Amino acid sequence: MSRMTFQQAVVAAIHREMVRDRNVFVMGEDIGKFGGPLRSNAGLWDAFGAEGRVIDVPISESTFVGAGVGAAMQGKRPVVDLMFLEFLALVMQQFLDAGAMHYYSGGSQSVPLVVRAKFGVGPFHGHAYDHHSWLANMPGVKIVAPSNPADAHGLMVSAIRDNNPVLFLEHMALYHAGKAEVDPEAGEVVPLGKAAVARTGSDVTLVASGLMVKRALAAATTLQESGFSVEVVDLRTISPLDEATILASVRKTGRLVVLSEAIGRGSSVNDVIALAADRAFTALKAPIRKIAAPDIPTPFARELEKEYLPSEDLIVQTVRNLLHPA
Amino acid sequence: MSRSNRTLLELYELMMLTRTLDEVLGKHDGHWHGLEGEEAMIAGIYHGLRKSDVVAPHYRGAVSAALAKGADLRTIMAGCLGRSTSYHAGRHRSDICGPPEYGLIGLYAGSLGPPLGYAAGGALASKLDRRDDVAVGVFGDGTSSRGDCHEAMNMAAVLNLPMVFVCQNNQIAISTELKAGVGGRIVDRGPATGMPGVRVDGNDVLAVKDAMDEAVARARTGGGPTLIECQSYRVAGHFYSDAEDYRDPHEIERWREKDPVTRFRRLLVEQGVETADLLARTDARIGKDVQGAFDAALQDPVPDPRGLDPGSVYAEAAP
Repeated sequence: MSRMTFQQAVVAAIHREMVRDRNVFVMGEDIGKFGGPLRSNAGLWDAFGAEGRVIDVPISESTFVGAGVGAAMQGKRPVVDLMFLEFLALVMQQFLDAGAMHYYSGGSQSVPLVVRAKFGVGPFHGHAYDHHSWLANMPGVKIVAPSNPADAHGLMVSAIRDNNPVLFLEHMALYHAGKAEVDPEAGEVVPLGKAAVARTGSDVTLVASGLMVKRALAAATTLQESGFSVEVVDLRTISPLDEATILASVRKTGRLVVLSEAIGRGSSVNDVIALAADRAFTALKAPIRKIAAPDIPTPFARELEKEYLPSEDLIVQTVRNLLHPA
Repeated sequence: MSRSNRTLLELYELMMLTRTLDEVLGKHDGHWHGLEGEEAMIAGIYHGLRKSDVVAPHYRGAVSAALAKGADLRTIMAGCLGRSTSYHAGRHRSDICGPPEYGLIGLYAGSLGPPLGYAAGGALASKLDRRDDVAVGVFGDGTSSRGDCHEAMNMAAVLNLPMVFVCQNNQIAISTELKAGVGGRIVDRGPATGMPGVRVDGNDVLAVKDAMDEAVARARTGGGPTLIECQSYRVAGHFYSDAEDYRDPHEIERWREKDPVTRFRRLLVEQGVETADLLARTDARIGKDVQGAFDAALQDPVPDPRGLDPGSVYAEAAP
């Protein structure tokens, strides 16, 4: 075990897989000597640059993600750094194609590709947009959003070993925000498609991913002081959704609050709500609540940004109102 | 370059096969993208590539590309008909999407341009593996305007990828004429991005083949990418039943007189490679083979509609 930040854990996972499998390589803008924005590829150049497995590319997101798709089609395992999730719009066609290939080819083609993207309102005050929900509407694409360093490591290992295109989300407010225990050589890794019950409770279920998990856990601790027992489900993988874990929790607590850093309209969490309404309706003791960013572009000024994001206070207030309506 | 009689006849057969696809598949489905006038480009580009080379073909020629790479005619026909016996199990159309087993990159979502990036990735994989396989990315004059095209050429040059870009310039994109769609000369974009640019007569199969051989040899030996612009004309409609009221019929007729199949057939006879009679027999054999494969595929089963399993969109985890 060693103590790592989220960023260190992700890089350690990539390093581990590059040692394990020569087909793994990394590609992106400024990931060589520069080490990647926010040190997203720190150390990989020194370790693997001489082998040609750390590839700096021109500013042409569509084509370097496309080249990742094409190399994956030939059996390589590219880990492509898109830099920021804001640029997702530039590579939508590539995800649409890559996600369709296995099905359309009759099962003969697989695309073992990881595309990394940093996002999120955080200390870096820019590139915050959370657009991952667009990809929830694309068959064949997986979406992974870790909330802590240990999961970031385990999920990255799994994403690289997975035979499908994976969008790997790296939240900038979590990136350098403290270290946690990580076992960089863990035999068992965190599987894709499995949510985690991050905190056990009996009164209400909070479903979240990424930074919202951190806020949900903080809110749960506050609510515990008032005698409310809150269960927190950390999705970890957003596509495909771990329906079983969500449903089991909702059936147990009878109440559901979903959290979304993305704007509420068209957010991937809406599928969690639909799932519960469809398959756990009779277990519900209260209306389902959604706490999401308002339907506006992520604002700049700190004061606006703070209000924009679902806060711990808002989560606490929403749960209180749900359990004890005024 | 002097060519063996065998190579010359293989090129002829690929051209004739391409023409016959038009007759069989075009008659079946009015949406088939006609190939008339472009047979020399198609044969010259795809003849002689290895199975392990990666090809992202123009949709006009994608079936010929798959067959030239070794795919099975009957199975491809089943794919054009959506039969369960096809490479794609009836899930996608083989007229624009070839089998990946033969190194084909299809038009999976139908958007032109991105497959050039996928082909660049195939070239990158070859380079990383220290193989001497190449990638061939083929596009029309229309797609030459896509940012994807510029980006892929630039990146292939910067990374010195083993790749050949081929523009199948038929002077029209659906109804948009070359002069309304393309600024400057396409061939000049080679040197502009740092690779050689070569322009050839796309109705001369041997000129196309010569340019391809040189570019492929350069790519196989670490010399980097090349752009080849083949100049021809789309005698066919955009699709087989296209009314084509946007074009001057006299212009079409003028180009029909330059028919590349007739031109190459005449050359083979004049040079004593083959007699006209024997070529006519070849034509008849190909016609029978294609029609036979099509008729047989028509009898194949259709996919079971109960087989719509969302689980099948994901590939299994690696062992």
